[in-house]
Amino acid sequence: MIRIDLQGESLLLLPERALLWERTGTLVVADAHLGKAASFRAAGLPLPGGTTTETLTRLSAALDRTAARRLLLLGDFFHARAGRAARTLAAIAAWRERHQDLEVVLVRGNHDRGAGDPPCEWGFACHDEPWIEGPFAFRHHPEEEEAGYVLAGHIHPAVSLSGPGGQREKLPCFLFGERIGLLPAFGDFTGGATVRPRRGDRVFVVAEAEVIEVGS
Amino acid sequence: MTAIARLEAWLGSRGWSPFPFQREAWEAYRAGESGLIHAGTGTGKTYAAWLGPLLEWMETHEPDLRPRRRAAAPPLRVLWLTPLRALAADTEAALRAPLAGLGIPWTLERRTGDTSATVRERQREKLPTALVTTPESLSLLLSRPDARHLFADLRLVVVDEWHELLGNKRGAQTELALARLRRFRPDLRTWGLSATLGNLDVALAALLGVGPDGRQSGRLVRGESPKEIRVDSLIPETVERFPWAGHLGLKLLPQVIAAIEEGRTALVFTNTRSQTEIWYQAILDARPDWAGEIALHHGSLDRKVRDFVEAGLGAGAFRCVVCTSSLDLGVDFAPVDRVLQVGSPKGIARLAQRAGRSGHRPGAPSRVTCVPTNAFELVEVAAARRALEAGRIEPRTPREKPLDVLAQHLVTIAVGGGFRAQELYEEVRTAWAYRDLTPAEWDWTLDFVTRGGPALAAYPEYRRVVERDGLYTVPDRTVARRHRLSIGTITSDAALTVQYVNGGRLGTVEESFIARLRPGERFIFAGRTLELTEVRDLTAWVRRAKGRSSAVPRWMGGRMPLSTELAAAVRRLLEESRDGTFAGPEMEAMRPILELQARWSAIPAADELLIERLKSREGHHLFFYPFEGRLVHEGLAALLAWRIARRRPITFTLAVDDYGIELLSADPAPLAEALAAGLLAPTGLAEDIPASLNAAEMAKRQFRDIARIAGLLFEGLPGRRKTARHLQASSGLFYEVFTKYDPGNLLLHQAHREVLEQQLERSRLGRALARLAESRITVLEIARPSPMAFPLMVAHMREKLSSESLADRVRRMQARLEKEASK
Repeated sequence: MIRIDLQGESLLLLPERALLWERTGTLVVADAHLGKAASFRAAGLPLPGGTTTETLTRLSAALDRTAARRLLLLGDFFHARAGRAARTLAAIAAWRERHQDLEVVLVRGNHDRGAGDPPCEWGFACHDEPWIEGPFAFRHHPEEEEAGYVLAGHIHPAVSLSGPGGQREKLPCFLFGERIGLLPAFGDFTGGATVRPRRGDRVFVVAEAEVIEVGS
Repeated sequence: MTAIARLEAWLGSRGWSPFPFQREAWEAYRAGESGLIHAGTGTGKTYAAWLGPLLEWMETHEPDLRPRRRAAAPPLRVLWLTPLRALAADTEAALRAPLAGLGIPWTLERRTGDTSATVRERQREKLPTALVTTPESLSLLLSRPDARHLFADLRLVVVDEWHELLGNKRGAQTELALARLRRFRPDLRTWGLSATLGNLDVALAALLGVGPDGRQSGRLVRGESPKEIRVDSLIPETVERFPWAGHLGLKLLPQVIAAIEEGRTALVFTNTRSQTEIWYQAILDARPDWAGEIALHHGSLDRKVRDFVEAGLGAGAFRCVVCTSSLDLGVDFAPVDRVLQVGSPKGIARLAQRAGRSGHRPGAPSRVTCVPTNAFELVEVAAARRALEAGRIEPRTPREKPLDVLAQHLVTIAVGGGFRAQELYEEVRTAWAYRDLTPAEWDWTLDFVTRGGPALAAYPEYRRVVERDGLYTVPDRTVARRHRLSIGTITSDAALTVQYVNGGRLGTVEESFIARLRPGERFIFAGRTLELTEVRDLTAWVRRAKGRSSAVPRWMGGRMPLSTELAAAVRRLLEESRDGTFAGPEMEAMRPILELQARWSAIPAADELLIERLKSREGHHLFFYPFEGRLVHEGLAALLAWRIARRRPITFTLAVDDYGIELLSADPAPLAEALAAGLLAPTGLAEDIPASLNAAEMAKRQFRDIARIAGLLFEGLPGRRKTARHLQASSGLFYEVFTKYDPGNLLLHQAHREVLEQQLERSRLGRALARLAESRITVLEIARPSPMAFPLMVAHMREKLSSESLADRVRRMQARLEKEASK
């Protein structure tokens, strides 16, 4: 866990690939892509089960550890309409049951448009981007906003590190630029896109159970 | 007049008389036998297989030259499989000649991925009497509901260039299709045509499959003895002291140009498509007056471009064509009288095949001139010549029960009218590759295509093959259509079409190359300098640009490993050099480098393993030189790294070439300690090898092909790419998901088995270790990289093996990111 100061607010970066906005008790998560494996299965591509459960377990762990009061989803909560299989929905409903007092806000992403909003009974507040609050503009797509510093997903950012002895690692990361900050993809069955940080960017990689700042 | 008299009269009218081996093949075919005909290119194999069924027809039919409607021609009798669709047109032309001459009213057509929709539609109504096609198109025919009816009159399947299919998954796919055809037609005859191989008996057995009582008997027909082959080299005046792998020896360009000038038409073979582009540019820059007289040819160029080049070659329109293995096969280009090989041929059979592209005059020897691109390739050329003289040719080992190919086949048959499990199991086991398929493996594969594997048993949303009353079918039309589009076993990376903004298509390049370019940047492709304007709809739009660029696309899969036979021959030559024997001009040229190796380090003896230690700015290097070829070295490198890393936390990056292995680490490795504890011991391999492969994630690369063939990677329907985006994921991601959530998945096991058996040649790995364990070990500290070490230090492909935590590794790497970012 690493605490950083951004726009006068204190953010906690978690190895679960989420961040906590401490003052408001808000856990921020991007690109969960729930039901992705199920949507592959529906198309006849035989993926094993377990990714959605694993993703939800990690989400619960982050919520419990931080005692967050609110969950802010930066888009792509569902992967695709075909992935809203009975078993996937039941798993999320059970998760919701466990965190019934949690306020959940979904800022819709490109996948949510195809997949549709979560069922009403889960009580998610769904909005189109941006969601503006405090100094931040929460979006799915990382595009600049007048109204505030943008925190966004969509990219699934990862950086490539190299070291002595010819070593290389590609790791998911948080990346904070001048006007836009990127969160790593939260979902278990999501790939990463290698990004090249610019001068002045702050980069934090997730290495198993640790968050480590690199290149500062 | 008897049939054979008619045939001989026709051959005589063209100035030919049958070779004894052709008569032997015709008679064997007429007697109901199957078999394999092996001979060099251009020696009459085609007619040895084709005239048998024509004779059979003529014995019961008088000549008949009346024109008739296509629909009135006899139904499909002969299926001619060719490995490359590029060869189909030439094959069709060769087969057509005798039909008219002998008054045989057969229809003859081809069907490949290039066949037009009109012809396909016509063939949907009725197939021709003889059909030239590829293994993939045959599988597509098997996916038609009326498949059994289509092949009701089939007498003969000819598998052309069987050696090209034998060693890979397309061979297994072909064997499955043949098993199916034999079920439809129990008296079907199968004839293969092959170049000479080191294991012809296996090639024959794999072609004929396994009958109820074991191996089928078949005839091995030996063709005319191959032409004499001469191998020589262009020897550079000064041999670079530090040759490095992949460094292009453009230094020999003047000699290459002189060699091209000697002949009428020259073929310049290179080992990769990138080298083809580079050499073409270099020759053109040196001789601008040859513009229009030279051309290039490789598998990523647009079909039209290649057709143009092939036609020009046949007509003698070119002075020189720079090419890859794309011109290894196929009809002879009569005007070619000079063949050059840039870089090591890496295999004896390949060199012989390429040499055979020249010297078509009867009795004239085939000659190939090798152009070394680094000094050690001189040794490889000398070794190849010696092996050829001794008649040592590599075997091609067939694949053993690849389950990804089987899974694809099951869906194919389910789409094509369905199957019953027990019946198809018995049929599949008659295919050579699957003769030892266990009931458990069969059940798993069947589960995989019906329920997605045992782990998926309870997922109702999964649907692909559906069982009802014991019949397995694919009721969903989208699934069926997607399967038809993805049939095949040749895998390719995501490719982008390269097209001019104002029209013409040039070919394809891999997405990863274009991804590095920005619009406005230039690159070389199809022999032209191009400027990228934009990337849209899976197409890289380009315009012609002036000037030169050094950006040349690289394509995956370009690197050939040194064959076992050639690696052994290289070792013998190096051993001789220890005693001051430098046989032949190539070894003589190598003398200064080998002497330098001996001075700075050593040249290992037969019973000696040389290990060099070096400290450089990069870190601490260990070099091992087993001389076993790159495939064995990959497995050995992982094993050695794993055994050392077990002793204390350390991270290695591994590099291999055909001669040796490099283990590189940031801190010194505990070598002496590991050696004392049995680093090279041939015991405990059953546990250590899989553990080391897992640690190096070597199966991850292999999983790419398997995932695609088994239908996991979905490339999208034409014209509907965007809607399929949400079904795309990288094979690496699939690999991780399977490893974590379904570790018992047999496709993962297959990936491991393929790494062990095909990639690393497990049996050879074991033998190599046994030999190394007996060897004297010499460890030398070297002050600077020796000639043998240098190529390893600059190798591009590297694996990683670590016993440290990820966080520890990341902390060490932090400094490097900063440097990259501030660039």
